Amino acid sequence: MGMLSRMGVIVKSKVNRIMDNAEDPRETLEYSYEKQREMLKNVKRGVVEMVTAKRQLEAQASKAQANLAKLDSQARQALGAGREDLARLALERKQTTITELEGLDEQIANMEIEQEKLTHAEQRLQAKVQAFKTQKEVIKAQYSAAQAQVRIGSALSGLSEEMGDITLAVERAETKTETLKAKAGAIDELVATGVLDDPTGGDPLDRELKAISASSTVDDELAALMAELPPGKESLPEGKS
Amino acid sequence: MIVRILTEGQFNLPGAHIDELNDIDNKLVDVVAEGDEAGFKNLLAKMMDLVRNNSTEVPVDELVESDLVLPEPDITLSEAAEMFVGEGLVPD
Repeated sequence: MGMLSRMGVIVKSKVNRIMDNAEDPRETLEYSYEKQREMLKNVKRGVVEMVTAKRQLEAQASKAQANLAKLDSQARQALGAGREDLARLALERKQTTITELEGLDEQIANMEIEQEKLTHAEQRLQAKVQAFKTQKEVIKAQYSAAQAQVRIGSALSGLSEEMGDITLAVERAETKTETLKAKAGAIDELVATGVLDDPTGGDPLDRELKAISASSTVDDELAALMAELPPGKESLPEGKS
Repeated sequence: MIVRILTEGQFNLPGAHIDELNDIDNKLVDVVAEGDEAGFKNLLAKMMDLVRNNSTEVPVDELVESDLVLPEPDITLSEAAEMFVGEGLVPD
């Protein structure tokens, strides 16, 4: 059995399951129509969730971007103060941030693709539901058992197949979004543990650089005199801020 | 002939292409059995292109059943393999 016939069997078995529930074809029509509307709602919600998830990633990316600039200036500052070790530390973090940023950009791009697919699925379903609604009313109006059964059968199986397909599209997009979000969450954790950034300002690098900054601006003359000593340590009162 | 590409939609493909499609389908079964990732991607893309490039899209407001169903274009080798493992065990 080739792949195509295998796919066909899988899809058709789904359709049959829906059809088997039918006693009065007209009930099946109403039932299916309700199902479709429900599904359309789910798809719409899926699109919204996707957009939200993407925005979160974008926020993370811009945070990382801002961090890059900060680390860069910290490195310069440290070097200016003769603290090569701190400058190296800042540059190392900058590299980590660049790597994370690349990862984030890639995820955002992937998410855009998924969002597009989902939006497409939504439009498709919307059109199908509309078409079904029209056909449903026509069939109901002309209902005469045997004939209508056949017509309902073909309309319903076409639509059931479509529903099955769109369900699959939505599920795939959602699974991918979850994976992307989990990855983004891992980056968040790095930020939280201070590997990437320290929003509290309690980071030793920050503290030391502030100390350096303080010592050089507050007391230039003293700094000049202390040029041959490791700078900054003596200005703790300001440095603590 | 109505062909569905899962997650993408339906296409009206002239029957003349069925042999070519079958040929790719058979080869796909082989590469899945061999676990040949590159070969699988390649053949799958070829299959999708064959359908997309030689057909007209079925209008969205038409409700028709497909004669053939193609897998989703981003299906992975392991997902495809799973589909084949299921065969025989569950007579769906």
